[in-house]
Amino acid sequence: MSLRESNRRMRLRRTGIIPADARVRHYDELGEETQVTVRELAGRPRTAPEADDLDDGDVVKFTDYYEVRAR
Amino acid sequence: MSDSYVIIGDGIAGASAAETLRQEAPDAEITVLTDEGESLYNRILIKEYAKGKLPEAPISIHQESWYDDHDVDLRLNTVVVDIDVANDAVHTHEGETFEYDSLLLAVGGTPQQLPVDNSDADGIHHFWTFQDARNIKESVEDAERAVIVGAGLLGIDFAAICGAQDVEAKYLMRGDAWWRYALSEEGAEIMHEAMRERGVDPVFDSGVDHFEVDDDGHVEAAVDPNGERYECDFAGVAIGLNFNTELVEDTSIETENGIVVDEFMRTTVDNVYAAGDITTFNDLVLGEQAKNGSWGSAKEQGTIAARNMLEYGSDEFEWVSSYSITHFDFPFLSFGHPTIGDESVEATTAEGEWRRVALKDGKVVGGVLIGDLSPQSAFKQLMREGRDVSDQTDLLMEPGFSVDDLAAATEQQ
Repeated sequence: MSLRESNRRMRLRRTGIIPADARVRHYDELGEETQVTVRELAGRPRTAPEADDLDDGDVVKFTDYYEVRAR
Repeated sequence: MSDSYVIIGDGIAGASAAETLRQEAPDAEITVLTDEGESLYNRILIKEYAKGKLPEAPISIHQESWYDDHDVDLRLNTVVVDIDVANDAVHTHEGETFEYDSLLLAVGGTPQQLPVDNSDADGIHHFWTFQDARNIKESVEDAERAVIVGAGLLGIDFAAICGAQDVEAKYLMRGDAWWRYALSEEGAEIMHEAMRERGVDPVFDSGVDHFEVDDDGHVEAAVDPNGERYECDFAGVAIGLNFNTELVEDTSIETENGIVVDEFMRTTVDNVYAAGDITTFNDLVLGEQAKNGSWGSAKEQGTIAARNMLEYGSDEFEWVSSYSITHFDFPFLSFGHPTIGDESVEATTAEGEWRRVALKDGKVVGGVLIGDLSPQSAFKQLMREGRDVSDQTDLLMEPGFSVDDLAAATEQQ
């Protein structure tokens, strides 16, 4: 389910284990708005409104690996 | 009878074209020919695989079933040996002929080999395909000492791979800094220090004069032009790409460091288009011909090419690219064309944070951000707007810079 459709808030949790079935997105693949969100959330205990090109469970490669959690 | 489209290349440019064609022309016949043995994968992430950080599976983007599901005829391991633009046909190494109404060349490039003795020895790697990444991972895992050549955005991937795999490496650079065309020594030193922290030692005013090999033909050392010898059992070479233009050499398709296309991605032959790394395109933002090898640019070019293959003139390619390095505990990002311009401004904005902006005729044409990427969108906006900032370049270096700062400063004048 798209985060935008669900109106949930997302956070990024640092992760060292990448499941084989995870969708992994590199920072460079993301839209500019989502890149801003990733920079703001990576490594910080913050949440932000939905990003339209990330889903719950995705893994983002930025300066580390971060799992997207949406609630 | 429906129109037929042939795409050569199944990287992100070719694949995004196929997706767009299928979406906007449900009845079209679409054929994708690729010389690789696997369908579309994530080229940005293959370095993570080689570092040992990612398993193989997430790197695949299109399973072969995707092509069946979308009625796209995918031909793997298929080398196109001739393009006959007079008869609208391409010929493959197995003697097959594919006729087309419109053709897309998304054929990319091939890594350049160092023009020195033994540059093709075992243990010397170039990095472009997923198979290259597999070979590199296998080789580097058994290595103890490495040499890296190529002081640019691709070479640093080798440095990160060696660092992640605990291989001590010498990074031989011809000049006095990594990516010296885009960074000053001050900015480059941040990158050098990050390399050193991972066991990769930059060696300046160096390079490779020749490689030495053992009795089995495996690399055992690199000797630089100063006569210094660096023992290694792994070498990574990333000195640039040769663009795969041989296919069109005997055609009327114009080439100039790649295949020349207009802003609609059309070549000098009306029903032949090109997209991705291979193109020398009319950069509407820069106002001159340019090249770009970033993922986002290639994806967008594939999409734009497909739309214009369906209806020429329907969509222009106008794009400000960016490319990040995420190997270290700080981010690095280059945007636009940081190696050109007639002047530049740079500053250290905080500890470990540095930026440089390149300008041409008073307008931002590119730059590099290290540590703090927050002005990325503002600088890209200035590029898209073609705004003259020649009187306000100091503002570009302010922490927290936004385009509104320029407007406010203009109003006060």
